[in-house]
Amino acid sequence: MEQIVNMIGRETLKTIVGLIGVLVFVVFNALILTWAERKVAGHMQRRIGPKEVGPYGLIQPIADAIKLLGKEILTPREVDRPLYYLAPILIFVPVLVSFIVIPFDASLQVKDINVGILVILAFSSLSVFSILMAGWGSNNKYALIGAIRSVAQNIAYEIPLLLALLPVIMMANSFSLKTIVEAQKGLWFVVYQPLAFCIYFISAVAETNRTPFDLPEAESELVAGYHTEYSGMRFALFFLAEYTNIFIVSAIAVTFFLGGYQGPFLPGIIWFLLKSYLLVFVIIWLRWTYPRVRFDQLLNVSWKALIPLAFINLLITGGLLKL
Amino acid sequence: MVESIKTELGAALQGVEIAEANYLERGYHLSLEVASGELLNAARFFDERGFYLAAIVCVDYREYLELVYLFANHASLCKVKVTLKVDPAKPVAPTISAIFDCAYWHEREIREFYGVLFDGHPNMTYLFLHDGIDFYPLRKEQIPVTDDDKRALGSFRPGEGEDTFFVNLGPQHPSTHGVLRVVLKMDGEYIEEAQPVLGYLHRMHEKMAENRSYLQFLPNTGRMDYLGPMAFNLGYVTAVERLCGIPVPDRANCVRVIATELNRISSHLLWLGAYLADLGALTPFLFVFDDREQINDILEGITGSRLTYCYFRFGGLYNDVEEAFIAGTKAFIERMRSRFSLYEKLVGGNVIFINRTRGIGVITKERARKQAVSGPVLRGAGIPMDMRKTEPCAAYGEMDFDVPVGTRGDALDIYHVRIREMENALKIIEQALARLPEGPVMAEKAPKKLKPPKGDLYHTVETPRGELGIYIVSDESDKPYRMKWRVPSFSNLMIFPELAKGNLLADAVAILGSLDLVIPEIDR
Repeated sequence: MEQIVNMIGRETLKTIVGLIGVLVFVVFNALILTWAERKVAGHMQRRIGPKEVGPYGLIQPIADAIKLLGKEILTPREVDRPLYYLAPILIFVPVLVSFIVIPFDASLQVKDINVGILVILAFSSLSVFSILMAGWGSNNKYALIGAIRSVAQNIAYEIPLLLALLPVIMMANSFSLKTIVEAQKGLWFVVYQPLAFCIYFISAVAETNRTPFDLPEAESELVAGYHTEYSGMRFALFFLAEYTNIFIVSAIAVTFFLGGYQGPFLPGIIWFLLKSYLLVFVIIWLRWTYPRVRFDQLLNVSWKALIPLAFINLLITGGLLKL
Repeated sequence: MVESIKTELGAALQGVEIAEANYLERGYHLSLEVASGELLNAARFFDERGFYLAAIVCVDYREYLELVYLFANHASLCKVKVTLKVDPAKPVAPTISAIFDCAYWHEREIREFYGVLFDGHPNMTYLFLHDGIDFYPLRKEQIPVTDDDKRALGSFRPGEGEDTFFVNLGPQHPSTHGVLRVVLKMDGEYIEEAQPVLGYLHRMHEKMAENRSYLQFLPNTGRMDYLGPMAFNLGYVTAVERLCGIPVPDRANCVRVIATELNRISSHLLWLGAYLADLGALTPFLFVFDDREQINDILEGITGSRLTYCYFRFGGLYNDVEEAFIAGTKAFIERMRSRFSLYEKLVGGNVIFINRTRGIGVITKERARKQAVSGPVLRGAGIPMDMRKTEPCAAYGEMDFDVPVGTRGDALDIYHVRIREMENALKIIEQALARLPEGPVMAEKAPKKLKPPKGDLYHTVETPRGELGIYIVSDESDKPYRMKWRVPSFSNLMIFPELAKGNLLADAVAILGSLDLVIPEIDR
């Protein structure tokens, strides 16, 4: 045992085990979130949601997953095959990489990279590529419009997202997520940076293509947007990626603004998951409350409101820190 | 109004005989027959005096085809029937689509059903029957369609441009509420041109009407507008009663009003839910279904069905209402009153909703008249026209209610009009309940077999979506000789292409939703 560990190297082994853990968590998280979304939606719509499969319908997502696995994987005739096949797989890469650097607890982190947040942001921009590939490769007009919308939206909202995170990075004086969490020992950054938190959260909802910013998959206009032509397991992968993304943006919000894994009495991981899922709940809540904004309105919010505000916030933070 | 129009008309159209008709029997005040060359002058005359073209009907009298143009006025009750005789062997008539835009579709419809060629019409292609036809279906004799005509009718092709592409909104699309297909010519996200393609739910109710007795056709009415079947039922039975002169007991008239208004609320509620689902908010749909469920339960108790009601009969009702119905309706009024503030908070005050609907799909009064839109869409444009006020049937004449109107004519105004219409419907139901007299619900002298006297009738009622006009020609047999349904959604959809032009795809969905279309009604 000791020999094997020495041969591979302790760090590498840790990474491998961590990645397996992340994969398990991703699937588990998606199962919980599908259940939670249906249950929350149900209660908001004056019904009870799933209740037949398992207690409180808890096994329902597994039944859904089995159903999706059992479905025939259809490939429309006119698709651009390489792009069409690659897109659902590629959408998963940024999602997995992001998990590596997120600190679930003081010692529960796959790898603490000193530019952690940059890794997450850089990789999450990659998901736009797979959406564009899916939209273009499907050879379907709805899918293409959905993909184009998605690209425009992601570019527009990545900027305020980053600008909202920068003040925190300046205050913590580090890009490492762990250091940022440790810097919030006394007061959470949300107290110093309420505006940045709001900007981040709005941008995050837009980045994950959720209502009221769910234009890329607006079903009343574009049927299902970029994944119109996907079925079975390939569709499930898009679905999985979306739910994982919701968790990631919430986890980053918790790490940057809400003190990460820090909290009294309970172990760190519990605090971290509690706070993250609270934000996830808010995102679900938004979806079942609001209508969808229009495309030009969506871009206006970003370019005319969020980005200037984020810049002002950044300037003020910088000025105060220098003093 | 009628007198002055008659004298002016006499001056404008020399040598044309203008006959005054008995409005109560015929549903129109004046009728005149013009020659082919005079038609455009007549149309221009009515256009200048602010009339709208309610419908164009074609009737095949075997010796000749008769085109019936029905003009009506928003400001005061004055209806004029203009007829034009066409040679059945070579039917050609001038188009008036350049004067009244709404004639564009009516003429296409007559073209494929009767084979009348409208001289100068820009697009004489199929409107409903895209699979092609071998015979003109509404002609009394089998007239084969020549190959040339078939080619001309089937020549609808969306032409693709250099920088544009086509998107099919429908026929299977979540936001067309049925099977409407709109071919959108898009430049990026902007719409350059919108072309509705109808006929996916075409069942030829008008031909069916000619082949079954008056009573046998009654259940068909509810199948046209499945969301407002009571109003269609009401329109049909009151039309036939008017034609045959059947009296209706007071109690039946009051119950008719209550049932129709309950149905109007349920229709508007479904619209509210579906419209917000179009705009991306899915939760209101479930909320309105909760309310709608109460109405369905109440109406199920008296009619036996929950969707395509067939409750009214010639001369009264299918059966009397009971105490449970009255108590249930009163409880529903209480409940519904408290719900409006909830909707206002959740929907009407929502910033995203307001931004999505304000200034979208603006309909001016002039355009509303030219396209002959009706119902809440017309009232949203600021014209206080309501058939329940102007031509009250059943017990509507005794009810006191407002006709809400909008100021801007956009989708937000139409939303407010519909919400306030629901409030007024509650008011009407309350009054009708208070007034509900004891007595029979069926006329004693209602004949078993209906053979209306010879003649025609244009009868209108206000359905949840607008003006429903029924044009019946009777030849004294037990079957209608011709029955034309002027349905509100058909005319309301006609204005969509010009509203959608230059807007974003998302706006097109918002506009289409605000018109509250029911596709089986358009396709008939």
